[in-house]
Amino acid sequence: MASVKIVLPGDIIDTRREEDTTQQESNVEDEATVIRLGPGLVQSSEAVSAVTAGVLHSNSETNRWWVAGNKRRYVAAVGEPVVGVVVARHGEGYRVDIGSAHDALLSHLAFEGATKRNKPNLAVGTVVYGRVVVANSVMDPEIECYNSNTGKSEGYGELSEGFMFKCSLGLARRLIDTKAPVLAALGNGVPFEVAVGVNGRVWVNAGSVATTILVANAIRNSEYLDAKQCRQMVKELLEKQ
Amino acid sequence: MSRPDRREASQLRALNCSLGQLNRADGSAQFSAGNTSVVSGIYGPVEAKVYEEKLDRAVVEVKFRPDIGAPTTKDKWMESAIRNTFEREILAHLHPRTLVQIVIQLREGDGSVDSAAINATSLALVDAGIPLKCMITAATCAVLPDDTTVVDPTQEEIDAARSTHTFAFASGSSTGPLYVDSRGDFTMDEYNHCYELCALATERVLAFMRTAIEGKVTKEAKISAA
Repeated sequence: MASVKIVLPGDIIDTRREEDTTQQESNVEDEATVIRLGPGLVQSSEAVSAVTAGVLHSNSETNRWWVAGNKRRYVAAVGEPVVGVVVARHGEGYRVDIGSAHDALLSHLAFEGATKRNKPNLAVGTVVYGRVVVANSVMDPEIECYNSNTGKSEGYGELSEGFMFKCSLGLARRLIDTKAPVLAALGNGVPFEVAVGVNGRVWVNAGSVATTILVANAIRNSEYLDAKQCRQMVKELLEKQ
Repeated sequence: MSRPDRREASQLRALNCSLGQLNRADGSAQFSAGNTSVVSGIYGPVEAKVYEEKLDRAVVEVKFRPDIGAPTTKDKWMESAIRNTFEREILAHLHPRTLVQIVIQLREGDGSVDSAAINATSLALVDAGIPLKCMITAATCAVLPDDTTVVDPTQEEIDAARSTHTFAFASGSSTGPLYVDSRGDFTMDEYNHCYELCALATERVLAFMRTAIEGKVTKEAKISAA
């Protein structure tokens, strides 16, 4: 396993490959390789430097470099699933708080089967699961509660009942990306529904209030636990119930 | 000539820090050098008020709270100085129309408070994931009546000093300091000597910060990889 490189803001990144450095003298006129910089890296004149702290990652096939670090405040990016709360209703749609600097816009028509005559009626305070469609630094983000290509909701839309809580962005990503051990362990013990937003918000719905709180606590506790510790923690919580 | 706590002239006090202790802040750090302890909390990027938002960059706001009593003019001065220092190093153009709020609380003051505040804020910004051009580290020097120069003075040493100087530097940069605060009567030679001593001291502070941040990132990354 390659050694983990942790960078701090201001560190200059050497993006040459290990093989390249040995051939440097003979391949002076190498064809220029295009390097794609992801989150946490910027180019300042000729050098690439890190701007956030975290583990430096690179993908040799796509020549992508990025810094992976954990944080709490969400910055919207297109295509990401998010859990939000409706905070206002407008003529055109809703204003949804997704945890980013500015509230997101959710159009009345961005739902499955919505037409001008048949619009959904969400009250302020409704929890919704949506997908970010517009996100850049100069505009307010926009989300939609269906897959606009297929027209189906695909799990997006209003989330009724249940309980929404906040967690760090790193934990949220782990819950979505990997087969999160805490969710698997809980699933073996109690039936529940969960919707995870990469904006650090998780919605949980189980049969009763006590079970819902148990599931929420188990997920919150699992931030720094590995798989084995997760299973142990869930087992203890379920036994105490 | 020996210092009250028997340190060498260029020796820093024991450094200590912890990251992410504040539950509701987006990032936080506590930094202490000896008895001087400062907590810094970061909120941002959040929505800025319409009358203070800037269309092309984030607004940086600093609030400094003293250990005892209400904020005075001295604290307002510190707020403005720290804001000027960090405003240039935060990549504010990535988050237009937002606010990055830095709240600094002095827990216990025993000299070199401004450099502790800058160091704590640097760590807190890293904890919050706010993009920075570089790490900012600071150190204070005092020139004592017997012409000796000491690094990281305690309040007792500052009260007796002829002049005190605080410098903050950007990591990895060979350009001048980002922040300079000199008070008292001093010659150019004394100033230059303090500059060099602080530059060396900030390198040690940076190494300490690097260790602390690597510890935090490793703890998080190990679980991600597991």
